[in-house]
Amino acid sequence: MTTKKENAQKLGIYLLIVSMFVLLFFVFRTTMNKSNTAFFIIYYCLFSFSPAIASLITRAVTKEGFRDMKLHLNLNGNFRWYLLAFGLPLIFFSARILLPIIVSGHSNWLGGFTVQDAVASVFMLAALSVVQSIGLLGEELGWRGYMNQKMEPLFGTVGTCLFGGVVWSLWHLPMDLAGWLDGEDTFSDTLMMCGGRMLLLTCFGTFLMWLTKKTDSVFPAVVAHFMFNQSQGAFGGFLSQCNIPENADLGAISDVCEYTTIIILAVFLLGCYYVKTIRTREIYNVICTRRKGDIML
Amino acid sequence: MTGLVYKEWKQNRWFILSMIPCGFAPLLALLLLREQITSVDNIALRIGGLIAGFLAAGALQLLVLRGDDRKLWGYWITATPEGYKGFLRLKYEMIFAMVVVFLFSLQCVDRGYCAVAADMGITEIEEVSGIAVPLCFVQILSRAIDIPFVYRFGSKKGSIIKMIFMVTGAVAISVLMILNAEHFDTIIEMCKKVFNVQNSSLILSVCLVVCLALYYLSYRITCRLYLKGVEQYDH
Repeated sequence: MTTKKENAQKLGIYLLIVSMFVLLFFVFRTTMNKSNTAFFIIYYCLFSFSPAIASLITRAVTKEGFRDMKLHLNLNGNFRWYLLAFGLPLIFFSARILLPIIVSGHSNWLGGFTVQDAVASVFMLAALSVVQSIGLLGEELGWRGYMNQKMEPLFGTVGTCLFGGVVWSLWHLPMDLAGWLDGEDTFSDTLMMCGGRMLLLTCFGTFLMWLTKKTDSVFPAVVAHFMFNQSQGAFGGFLSQCNIPENADLGAISDVCEYTTIIILAVFLLGCYYVKTIRTREIYNVICTRRKGDIML
Repeated sequence: MTGLVYKEWKQNRWFILSMIPCGFAPLLALLLLREQITSVDNIALRIGGLIAGFLAAGALQLLVLRGDDRKLWGYWITATPEGYKGFLRLKYEMIFAMVVVFLFSLQCVDRGYCAVAADMGITEIEEVSGIAVPLCFVQILSRAIDIPFVYRFGSKKGSIIKMIFMVTGAVAISVLMILNAEHFDTIIEMCKKVFNVQNSSLILSVCLVVCLALYYLSYRITCRLYLKGVEQYDH
């Protein structure tokens, strides 16, 4: 069997197992709504760790072993990438939440926003990202530590970023659809949410993949993912201290700022990948031509 | 490095895995003392269990340092490509991972307990994980103090010398406090000014980051002291 076929087979098994967990979430939705214990077991213990569980099962079933799980910290020489993993989601959420307020000329809303609180939050997030991000290994071990590795030989780096992002956002579908299935949200709102998440996660997934490839470890991606989740809460806390009117609507500027930063980052990284792929091909072609020349001689 | 990871795993896997059951300590405390629970508010008992769990986990974390205080091992590891710095880095990373695994287990169990309690109609229940996070940093700080002593003086001597240092420190602080009894009110006023409600979150967050920085500093100190320690090991 060729390497591509092998990868496709392993990827197929992995995605099948992950989709079984998604199905489990849908099947037990009513039970989870009724019982906190069921929610804890299905959501926290099984669903949150389903990518990691799926990757471990696939590795065991296909007998490929557990060697290249990218579980080394690789801190030596890579500390700056860890810092970037910590800082970039913070910058992104600052741009996403604070920029529309400042650009639209409502800086006075941020009156309750003190530098001391901001510094305290950054330090707190820094400390917590080191000790509490381990839970996200349940996702990253699967997506970045396994799926991307199997996708890359099949779709290339750019394709992996795009397909991987779509798969990652589809995995979040049970959470996005929950409101609509419970009759709380309209279908159009749910579709908007799914679309927004797909765009956001595809772009953010590109950054996570770049981090993983750069450091050969899933831990920077774990930190970045933790920061992505926690920054929202931190900024939510800030906004509650500010003097924002309840019916505040910033209009189009808010929608533009919501995705602009992350799209710019993703396009930049995808561009880098694309250029690297072309260069690698050029070098490969040069080597092939030289070899042909040697054989002719 | 993979070889060292393998060695540590083979040698200490039971201590590493024991961090998971340590996270069940608050639940165990509730089960053992269930007859003494008079009200729904059993938070004091759970916190007691949590502290017991931290003490047990701390003791187990120290046990992974046992067996490395041998001259032959010290010389051998120094001669390997990773060197003693690589070996010490792995030890520090492993102990840190043990703390993280313990905290994760503790939070999972606590969340599960709260979910079950909520299903039983107990709505006033609160998670104790909030206390666990600062305690986890205290544990990191304790390990940052313990490890250099163990590698400098060996595990037995090291703990005795550390104890002497601690007692000396405590006595010195007590003497200072007695000598400055007249200025005690001023000191308390000053502390009140610094640790007010507005500053508390900043001070707490800075302290947490300082704990992490001290853990790294402890690694650097241990690297400096290790070879001196090897020379003094008994066998």
